[in-house]
Amino acid sequence: MLARIAHELFWLGRNLARAEHTARMLDGVFQASLQGRPDDPAGVTLDWSSMLAIMGAPPGEGPVRRDEVLRALTLEPDNPTSVVACIGRAREGARTVRDVISAEMWEAVNTTNMRMTESHPPDLSARPSSLYSYVKERCALFWGLTSRTMLRDEASAFLAAGGRIESADMVLRMLRVALPPGIPEPSSTAERGQALALLQAVGGFQAYRRAVPAPPNALPVAHFLVFERTYPDSVAASVDAVHNALFRADGNPRNSEPVLRLQRLSADLEFRGRAEADGGDLHATCEAVQEELVRVDRDIADRYFAGAVGTMVAV
Amino acid sequence: MASEPATAPIEYRTREGFLDEVFAGAGGAAAPHAAQLVAALGQMGPEHLAAAGRRRDAIFMQQGITFELTGEDGPKDRPFPLDLVPRIIPADEWIPIKRGLAQRIRALNAFVDDVYHAREIVRAGVVPWRLVVSRSHFARVVHGIRPPGGVYTHVAGCDLVRDADGTWRVLEDNVRTPSGISYVLENRVAMTRLVPELFAQYRVRPVDHYPQLLLAALRAVAPSADAEATVVVWTPGPFNSAYFEHAFLARQMGVELVEASDLVVRDDVLYMRTTDGLERVHAVYRRIDDDYVDPLEFRVDSVLGVPGLVRAYRAGTVAVANAFGTGVADDKAIYHYVPDMIRFYLNEEPILANVKTYLLTDPDQLEHVLGRLDELVVKPTGESGGKGVFIGPATPPDDLAGLADVIRAYPDRWIAQELVNLSTVPTAGNDGRLAPRHVDLRPFAVFGEDIKIVPGGLTRVALIEDSMIVNSSRGGGSKDTWVLEDGQDTDRAEPEGMLTAPPTMPDLRYAGPWVGQQQQQQQ
Repeated sequence: MLARIAHELFWLGRNLARAEHTARMLDGVFQASLQGRPDDPAGVTLDWSSMLAIMGAPPGEGPVRRDEVLRALTLEPDNPTSVVACIGRAREGARTVRDVISAEMWEAVNTTNMRMTESHPPDLSARPSSLYSYVKERCALFWGLTSRTMLRDEASAFLAAGGRIESADMVLRMLRVALPPGIPEPSSTAERGQALALLQAVGGFQAYRRAVPAPPNALPVAHFLVFERTYPDSVAASVDAVHNALFRADGNPRNSEPVLRLQRLSADLEFRGRAEADGGDLHATCEAVQEELVRVDRDIADRYFAGAVGTMVAV
Repeated sequence: MASEPATAPIEYRTREGFLDEVFAGAGGAAAPHAAQLVAALGQMGPEHLAAAGRRRDAIFMQQGITFELTGEDGPKDRPFPLDLVPRIIPADEWIPIKRGLAQRIRALNAFVDDVYHAREIVRAGVVPWRLVVSRSHFARVVHGIRPPGGVYTHVAGCDLVRDADGTWRVLEDNVRTPSGISYVLENRVAMTRLVPELFAQYRVRPVDHYPQLLLAALRAVAPSADAEATVVVWTPGPFNSAYFEHAFLARQMGVELVEASDLVVRDDVLYMRTTDGLERVHAVYRRIDDDYVDPLEFRVDSVLGVPGLVRAYRAGTVAVANAFGTGVADDKAIYHYVPDMIRFYLNEEPILANVKTYLLTDPDQLEHVLGRLDELVVKPTGESGGKGVFIGPATPPDDLAGLADVIRAYPDRWIAQELVNLSTVPTAGNDGRLAPRHVDLRPFAVFGEDIKIVPGGLTRVALIEDSMIVNSSRGGGSKDTWVLEDGQDTDRAEPEGMLTAPPTMPDLRYAGPWVGQQQQQQQ
């Protein structure tokens, strides 16, 4: 297929996954911020300044105000990291590849973009949850339609690869900011402190509950979000999914740098998951995986997109 | 912000002779802790509140947070009635409630242990044995069985009320299978979504850790060497009116929700049937009455039970929460003795008072009660959920005469209590306007290694004007209950940025310009 189209599809997936993760995190932080501290010590920090750090904003001066962060990261069209900007870029991308994706998928993205840019935006500071659930629902609709109506060809593989690499990156970003520095030390408050906020920010609370018998403390939760392959939004599951998608799309996968790199990363995660079951340096793992994903990104650009690497935009 | 007008901008008339928890000041002024809530409600106005109420009903129906109401046209699912005006309990008021409950539950637990073992409280002459054995929930079959950790009352929910002078009193103890905790958690989630603006000036203590507390307590008492004991929630089935709660707790704890047909006892060990064969069960949180749990030991006609369960329990291979036979402690005739139990077992003075209760087996008290039937509340001892209760002032004289005959014939099955003038809290009607409605409070305690109490609990509210019956089966609703943190932190800005600098990460990436790459290719 055309490199340009593959590139658009990859970024369509990335933008939608980023919009959804941002919406989920903002919703989680908003719900948590309405209530006080729980009885148990909190093992993680996920608040409005963390949100800014996750989205790569430079640490500002003075206190961080809830309403400003909410607005900037949700409906501010001039902020490239805002949910509405992600949806807008996804819509532009989807328009470019209208002939490749199914009409229903295009309609799903287009309608979402129209609703998000309506002239009367919802009252964010009072009731943001309905907006975030709208974004979550529309993203789920898009991916549902993709698996139902789109041909399982190369095009769908690049779309999936983009969505999943972005998911892995967003979860890693959240963990790197939210996990306390003391996490590897056994029996620190960081380890005992609860980390419900992280699970709520990715929608994984019930999955965690069913998969892990331990209480949702920082260490087991972080372990779950990085290594648990049966949980679809874990880093390991996302890495596997990117690998599988590229393996499918590549004409000669056994000779493909991104595929080989992902294979190695996937095996590495498996080994680390076993070794770190009782601790280990999760911070170092998150950092290493994140950097490896940057290399994967570059390899993908080199091999499939004629070198069109993602750029960074100052926030 | 603190200088909001203290008088209500809202139309509101408190009820004479009753404490209103919000407009508690002189001349109907708002109490200090409630002033900001009143201001926020005033800002919202009745229309917005009514609109939020309609959204609430729609969401509850979608999420299936309903209860069955049997009306003229058969049973019907109704959205669980959550009133959107929260009830606030300041930190300094909550602390004695919490301590008082922990004290009371510890004494009730000691009483259950004593009744089925040494009977010291009987021998000391504090509680008559004749009264204990005649209770319908006294379970002879568990005599001599001591569960792990000596804990019987793992989950307790005592009903509290507030008198006209503001005193908190215990109205009833529930140490069998108190229900309602799922509504506490769901109410809070709904409130943060529907009316987040009301939270703006408060720091409310969260309640969502309850399932963790319960799971930790069940694991703590499970007879299993490793920490990952298998815990299950046992429900009578989907037709039970509290099935929503059973499923909710199982889901939140991540454990199996089982019915009797899933369970089997082999060689005094309890198992569940799985696709992998039988799997050992270490702890059961059962939401089914003693009577039905084991047809070999309790009611033989029970089809909901697991034959041999009591044998396994006696062998100590499985923990059951709450333990069998705890019903003897929350009997309404035993209630009268709880303050004495606290003194007897703990050597402490009770922190929370009882409502003045008359035991009708005492001829003097019986005569006194019969003379004042139209002023008192008369309750059957073995029931719960407001069944069979007569409220003197609200009962026709003919019925009272009939009641007097019944009481004379079976004085040990009834008790009488002074009528408590339940406090009121502003409650929104369908049009969003506020009016005083009577409330009670059921806090939930979990007893594992120690006693933990979720801040607040289920506030039940009588939605009918002047009614004091708060049961949801009889027109009652509920309120989100806010226990505030110590010291009000009204500034929503985060105090001092992040304690540590965020880690340096690769920047977020965006699609590169395609045009540039094209040129690169053409070289």
